Order: sequence, then C-alpha cells, then structure tokens
Amino acid sequence: MTRHPLAWCAWATAALAAALIDRNPYLQGLLLLVVINVFLPYRGPRRLTSWKFGLALAVVPVIFSAALSRFGRHLLFTLPPIPIIGGRWTLDAVAFGASTGLALLLTVAVFGVLHTTVRSADLVAILPRPLYRAGTTVALALAFAPKTVASFHSIRQSRHLRGQRASWRSAPELLLPLLLTTLEHALQYGESLDARGFGSGRRSRYRPSRWTVPDLLVVIASLAAIGAMAVFPAAPYNAYLNLAPTVPRPGSLLGIALLAVPAVTASLSRMDHARHHA
Amino acid sequence: MTITTTARLSAAGAAAIAAALLAAHPVHAAVHHAALVIQHTSGSLITRCVAFAEEQINGLQLVQRSGVEYEAQSFGSIGSAMCQLDQEPLTVPPGCFGSGPYWQYFHRQGSDWQASVVGASSSVLHDGDIDGWRYAAGANQAPGSISFAAVCGAPPPPIAATRAPSATGSIRPAPVQAVPLPPATPTPATSLEAFAPSAAPSRNAVLASTGPNQPPRAAAIVPWLALGGTAILLLTLGAINLRRRGP
Repeated sequence: MTRHPLAWCAWATAALAAALIDRNPYLQGLLLLVVINVFLPYRGPRRLTSWKFGLALAVVPVIFSAALSRFGRHLLFTLPPIPIIGGRWTLDAVAFGASTGLALLLTVAVFGVLHTTVRSADLVAILPRPLYRAGTTVALALAFAPKTVASFHSIRQSRHLRGQRASWRSAPELLLPLLLTTLEHALQYGESLDARGFGSGRRSRYRPSRWTVPDLLVVIASLAAIGAMAVFPAAPYNAYLNLAPTVPRPGSLLGIALLAVPAVTASLSRMDHARHHA
Repeated sequence: MTITTTARLSAAGAAAIAAALLAAHPVHAAVHHAALVIQHTSGSLITRCVAFAEEQINGLQLVQRSGVEYEAQSFGSIGSAMCQLDQEPLTVPPGCFGSGPYWQYFHRQGSDWQASVVGASSSVLHDGDIDGWRYAAGANQAPGSISFAAVCGAPPPPIAATRAPSATGSIRPAPVQAVPLPPATPTPATSLEAFAPSAAPSRNAVLASTGPNQPPRAAAIVPWLALGGTAILLLTLGAINLRRRGP
C-alpha cells in the first residue's frame, strides 16, 4: 500500500495549493474530508499529533479575529469599552477567522499525511544529484528539532526526579545540559555519516522505490486537480463582504474530488490484499 | 465488501460527477435587481434600478450599469472611491476627495443606511440590495430614506407565472422605456445584458436575451447536487476506510 514518494509529493503539492487558494468554506470542508480519507488508511495509534497541533493552531485566528476586529454587519454582542477587546463582536469576524484557521488546519494536516506516509530518507534519496548533500543536511536539521525537544523533556524529568522545581531561575541549569546533549548528538550524527561514507558518492538503495499503476494514477489525478483549480477557479470568499459563501461550481468540486484518489487506491489495494488472504 | 462493489461504487461516483459537470451547461441564470440611490448637494435624488444576471455584482458595477456618469479612483484592496458622480463636482478634485464635500458610500440595512467599510469595487450586492451615495461634507451623511420597492417596484410574481409564451426570451416585461427585444435565434446566448433604466421610480430594467427561456431553479440546483454528491461519496469512502484497521 506504500506509494512512491514522488506520488505523495505530487499529491501534497496539489492539496496544499487547494488549501491555500480555496477559501470557500464548502471547498475547505470537502478538502478536509479528502485529507481525512487519505490519512485513514495510514493511521496509527501515535499519528494524531499533527491533527491535534493543527486544531490548536486553527483556533488561534478565530480568537484573534473575533476579539480584535470591529468590522462586520452581523452583530453577536457588544462589550463595554475595554481596551483592545471592547466594542462590537461580529459573526463576520468569527467566520473570517474560521476560514483562515481552516486553511491552517488543512496545511498542517497535509504535511501530517506526508510525514506519516513518506520517510525523510526516501525523500532525500529521490533528490537530484546536485541537491543530495543539501537535502541530507536539511533532513538532518529537521530531525534535530524533535530530538532537541525530547532531550529537553528528559533533562527536565530527571531534575523533577531529583526534587528540583522548574522555574525561570533554573533556565541556565536546563539549557547547559541541553546544549551539551545537542552537541553530543551532532557528533554522533557526524560519525554515523562518516561511517556510511557520506560524500563519497550517491548511496545505492537496498530496496529501490518502484512506480506502480496506482502511483501513476495519484500523480495524474494530482496534476488534473491542479489543472481543474486553474481552469475553474473558485469564487473568492470574504466573510466581511458576504457572510454566506457561494456554492462552488462542479469544476471546482472536481478539482477537490480528484485529490481523494490516494484514498481510493489504498482502499482498493487493501481489498485485493484481503481477498488474497481469504 | 468486495472489490467489485467498490469498483461499482467508484464508477457510480465518477458518473455522478460527470453528470453534474455535463448538466452545468450554460443556461440563463435568475434575474436579479439592485437599486442605486444618489443624492446631490442640492438634495436632488436620483434612483436607478439595475438588473443583473450574476449572483452578485459590486457597487462599482452597479454604478457602471446604471448609466450614471462617474469618475472613480482605485485604492487597492479597499476598493474604489467615487471622485465624481453625475457631474458633481464639476471637476475632479486633486486626490479624488479634495478638502470639502465628498461622495459618501452607504448600504441599506433594513430601514437604515450603514456606511460602507469598503470601496465600491469591493462591496457585494445581491438581489434586492440598495446602494446609496451622497455628496456631503462631514462623516456619516447618509442619503434620504427610500425603499427598494420605491426604486424597483414591487417584487414580481413567480417567473413561471409571468413568462410570455413567445420565444423572445423576455423574462420581465418593461412597462416604461422597454428596449425592443431581438428576434429568437437558434444559438443560445451565454450572457444577459442589463440596460440602463431611467430615473423613474418603477421597475424599469429590461433584460434581453435570445436563448431558450429555462427555469432558473434548475440551473441553481446543479451545484448543490454536485456538492452533496461529492460529500456523500467522500463520507462513504471514509466509512469504508474507517472500518479497516491501520497499517
């Protein structure tokens, strides 16, 4: 059921384009359904982190827009003249924030699906030769962020076990071991790269990625989705100008529906697999 | 569920989407009307009723289609400001606004005028909306109170009941200053043109078209059907994938 990394990249590009271009709530809702559908076959017990992060991120624009914007025709309530938040709170501002929040959620969700389905090593392996070293460096740098966070948590936990409370005064005592641990990790990375002959030439692959018919279908559908978005652009949505969104044209819907092809192919291949074992 | 069932499901989905796309051929959309109210410094009031085929137009399009002379200046995403309207002021002041009176822009909300937060080219008008302009100094100088019916007349009876049996395609008869309608031709027109009406407080906007006159509701329901069909397909696919365990 694994897809070629390039097929996933094509899908992610088309899905991100849809998430960032289409602000029509109907299309955003459909795109969310599509991304959930694509995610479901690859879900695991610990794969919901990006969704939780996306949901938390999506709430922020709603709060900021509702609290800070005084424009709009559909009044929810009026607060007394308190600095910053006082005045008219409107439904238009909430809808505008929700539209922005949904776009953020979709962006995070698409990257979450990509993170779940594609290994960074596979992505680096398909890079063109001139970009291989730079790609490896970027992949390592990206891998460093969760490692550093994990180190921070373990240092703080070990301090708690010793009965030391965490406060801003204890920041140097936290940061110094964190810096040393990070440097140690960097040295380990360097040594492991050296041991694997990094820089001596392109690495061979033990199990090369092969193109299959479903992979090609995903790529063709993604390209067609981008084409449909260009040919049938959705009417722009601005909650302040018109709270009720316009119903998208069938062409725009087709662009979104084509992005569900990975979910369909995954579903079909699972059925094939199940029938084979039956 | 077998692979055959899923294949049939997918084929049905594809057929539904294809049918929706094929059904979305150009047909005449519903005819909408918006009112324009212009009040000069002298207090004289000009009203126009403008017909449009689109779901919505902006305030600048309303002025353009009303036939009233105007001079506008764009202010980017905020929209266009009106520098001169119906020859007032006689010369466009520097920077569009000048230092004295200026054209103030309002939308009718119920029985009140509300100052527009955006310029004319960024505002959105639907069927039954009223835009107001008043040339005055000082903020929030709204035009005089006026209703949509006073500008465009009473709402018409259902189109099905008033449709003329002739093939001219005239959706709404024009009592005053009716523009002669072109004879029917076998080639369907893809757009409707709104003609500039007079200042008379009557429904005096005429739409002329040469295509077959079809009920607008049939055209309006197609996008909803396509949207609902796509959503149902995605929910079905989600339910199938949800029933199966992850990798």
